Amino acid sequence: MGNQDDKERAGMKKQLVISVMSKDRPGIIADITGVILDLGGDLADLNQSVLGGYFSMILIAEFDRKITAEDVIAGISHIESENKIECAIQEMDVALETEKKNLPSETFIVTAQAINRKGLVKVMGDFFYSRNINVLDLGTTRDNEQYTMIFQVDLSQIDSLQKIREELKSLGEKEQLDLVLQHNDIFQATHEVSGFVETVSR
Amino acid sequence: MLRSDQIMATVEMVHKENLDVRTVTMGINLLDCRTGTVKETCAAVEAKIAEYATNFVEKCEEVAQKYGIPVVNKRISVTPAALVGAGFSKDDFIDLAKSLDNAAANAGVDILGGFTAHVEKGITKTDMAFIESIPEALAVTKRLCASINVGSSQKGINMDAVAMMGRTVKELAEQTKESGGFGAAKFVVFCNQPGDNPFMAGAIHGVEEADVVLNVGVSGPGVIARSLEKTIKNKGRENLKIDDIAEEIKQITFRVTRCGELIGRQVSKELGIEFGVVDLSLAPTPKVGDSVGEILQILGVDDVGAPGSTAIVALLNDAVKKGGIFASKAVGGLSGAFIPVMEDAVLADAVGKGALTIEKLEAMTCVCSVGLDMVPIPGDVDADTISAIIADEMAIGMINNKTTAARLIPVPGKKAGEHVSFGGLFGESPIMEVINNGKSNRFIAWGGRIPAPIHSFKN
Repeated sequence: MGNQDDKERAGMKKQLVISVMSKDRPGIIADITGVILDLGGDLADLNQSVLGGYFSMILIAEFDRKITAEDVIAGISHIESENKIECAIQEMDVALETEKKNLPSETFIVTAQAINRKGLVKVMGDFFYSRNINVLDLGTTRDNEQYTMIFQVDLSQIDSLQKIREELKSLGEKEQLDLVLQHNDIFQATHEVSGFVETVSR
Repeated sequence: MLRSDQIMATVEMVHKENLDVRTVTMGINLLDCRTGTVKETCAAVEAKIAEYATNFVEKCEEVAQKYGIPVVNKRISVTPAALVGAGFSKDDFIDLAKSLDNAAANAGVDILGGFTAHVEKGITKTDMAFIESIPEALAVTKRLCASINVGSSQKGINMDAVAMMGRTVKELAEQTKESGGFGAAKFVVFCNQPGDNPFMAGAIHGVEEADVVLNVGVSGPGVIARSLEKTIKNKGRENLKIDDIAEEIKQITFRVTRCGELIGRQVSKELGIEFGVVDLSLAPTPKVGDSVGEILQILGVDDVGAPGSTAIVALLNDAVKKGGIFASKAVGGLSGAFIPVMEDAVLADAVGKGALTIEKLEAMTCVCSVGLDMVPIPGDVDADTISAIIADEMAIGMINNKTTAARLIPVPGKKAGEHVSFGGLFGESPIMEVINNGKSNRFIAWGGRIPAPIHSFKN
């Protein structure tokens, strides 16, 4: 009976992925989440950042079946704002995993620095893609002419760490990139007060 | 995801400031190796070390490779040999020394410590034979290091043993005179010797320890020096106070210690061996840029030995402990700043300039983590004077409830100001002057014990 209830409840709900982008100002989060609340939505996950003065947010919210993407878009379009809020919405076709997942044990960080030029991220992206290496996270910064890329990658599928180190070395020489490959645990150990105990006893 | 500036700071620490794990030391209990004959005991010793240490170096290399942080030294420490060879004669102990040397060679480690006796209260017949064996044992082996604990805060100082130490040091130097008395560089006299110190020459596997443990020594004077230089440059000297410097040292030590513990625990997991402690010491090497003396210069004395040096060592030693203790689950060993003269190019340089004297060095050892370490002295300093220098150093440890040690090298045939070099990690230095040579004979002639000190009324 309980199972039946769950199914019915699940059948009555849907999860929407909502992505918004706008020139940054105070109150965007309050406005967007206000629209979701008004439509009876429940936030499941959210990621937000500001880049170069532009606000970007991707979130997942759970709604009753009867709420449509158009309802959400209409709600967001009614927000009074000096700058336009761009919005894209998709319905999720797989269930959201709410359980916290640990990083793979072979998670490494590759830092790449070079004098800025076009195509630097692509050089690195191609390197990882051609070796079936999944990039878990990527952040880049530009400081004057220096361009810094930080890739968090999963190396559990590779045959030899030594080989990757050598290949990165020759890539660095060829592309004039300062490349360093280091295990993710090192960064956790050196910069996080907690969490280290789990890392070392894993 | 971590912040990019933090990631780049760590990358810089590992790759530009040469962060490393200075030593991973495997401690092995050998008490169960004492069997029927000397030959059988020696064979059991070699077999037990081989049982645990065969893959040791390889596993350290694997973990270092995975994490991209070098493990510079892989070493072994064992139960004090005077206990392992209970009832042995002098010659038997020399056989045991050869077996330990062999075992170290077979395991691929460069140094094995624990050719040791603890005689802070009394000397047994075995201890006597053991001490007599030391000069020859170290002269005929390559990898073995010896130590004697002659004092403790609980038991006082055994002055009979101290008297023997001066003669032992002289004899050791004499038996290895072709190499400048190098034998004496492999021999340390201790007060309050810890049983879990991973650093040589004084590493032992204490009898209070489990069967086999791994202890890690982190170091990194170079990392601290480079980081302080950067902070001073970026923030401006005029905007910093000395407590800002102490805070910076603490934070760097935290990060360095975390790396050491990570590597150590991974190696211990790979080998299925219990993890012991992290020893957070600033241990210099003769390499340029890997000097504790350089940190003293950055902190404001033009030469090590100038007034202020003791205060700076005190700050440094304390900041290292504070940063490291918070970073690690289990801290032990010596944990502090080492000031070994020959192993630190800046200290050796200060000796050459006449800025650093043995008396000032002794004062600095009151607040550093060990003592008079790698101090080359003239070959003609007599045994009683050496014993008396040792007694002074032991007294500092006994009264202050801390480890102190003396590793004095009377360089045969050389005088103060002349140069001695042992090469590699053991370094080089001008020979330090010992004033008042030959004036302490009546003190050493007493023998007996300096009673254990009172532990209250501490002013």
